Amino acid sequence: MLVSRCPNSSSCAGNRTPLATLRRNTRLLWFVEARLQVAMSVPPDPVQDDELTIPRASMNKMIKELLPNVRVANEARELILNCCTEFIHLVSSEANEICNQQQKKTINAEHILASLDKLGFGDYRADAEAVLKDCKAMAAKKRRKSTRLENLGIPEEELLRQQQELFAKVTQLPTAGYKDS
Amino acid sequence: MAGTEGEAVVGEELQGVEGDGEEGGRAGLRLPLARVKRIMKADPALQLASQDAVFVIAKATELFVESLVEEAYQYTRKAGRKTVSRRDVDNSVEAIDALAFLDGALDWS
Repeated sequence: MLVSRCPNSSSCAGNRTPLATLRRNTRLLWFVEARLQVAMSVPPDPVQDDELTIPRASMNKMIKELLPNVRVANEARELILNCCTEFIHLVSSEANEICNQQQKKTINAEHILASLDKLGFGDYRADAEAVLKDCKAMAAKKRRKSTRLENLGIPEEELLRQQQELFAKVTQLPTAGYKDS
Repeated sequence: MAGTEGEAVVGEELQGVEGDGEEGGRAGLRLPLARVKRIMKADPALQLASQDAVFVIAKATELFVESLVEEAYQYTRKAGRKTVSRRDVDNSVEAIDALAFLDGALDWS
């Protein structure tokens, strides 16, 4: 039986077809399942938090690109690595302050940019903004792409089967601590 | 559409969780976003940061490495050496005002 928000779909303002509703419900259920998985998963922590740095390999790549024919001592690399961690903490802290002052709950890109200005790294702003634009464009493209893929018509029976499967899974998930709506 | 927004959040979050070794990838970032985010989160006082914010910090960190390395290299060349040493990096830090925050943190063994 197809699950639809309206008992009689033709009375819905949006006039959704049952198939479209089914697709949407399947999407929503995937969404819920994914969120629950993320909430319950414990990512393996190979490194203690206070030893966390950016990966050496990434940094070595950057150095190689900057100074292709120059040797850099291991000690120097180690130092730069640790400086990066300090840098990230410094900028995040400052951005956190700015965010608090604005009474916002989430630190956004503008907070980071402002903190760079404040800390004397204002000349990073231009490059950072340019790259941010690219990132947004790519994210928007991805969203458009995923919408198009959904319309590629997974057969209705398959969608129905998936929906049933997801319903079954969701009812099996632990519900301790969740209030009944 | 609420559904679409939700998906975007999940998509981005999952990408952050999986593949810690996976590089920024988008727009040519070298640093893995998930790692940058973990470093940020090591600070308990820090609030939630948006994906964009992590992205911008990652880029800024790359620019930071660039500045530091290039500055250090100036000292290497001045001394007529071919290998950038730790000393060169130390000197760069001392010479640049904005890097004063690193002063206390330089004594790692």
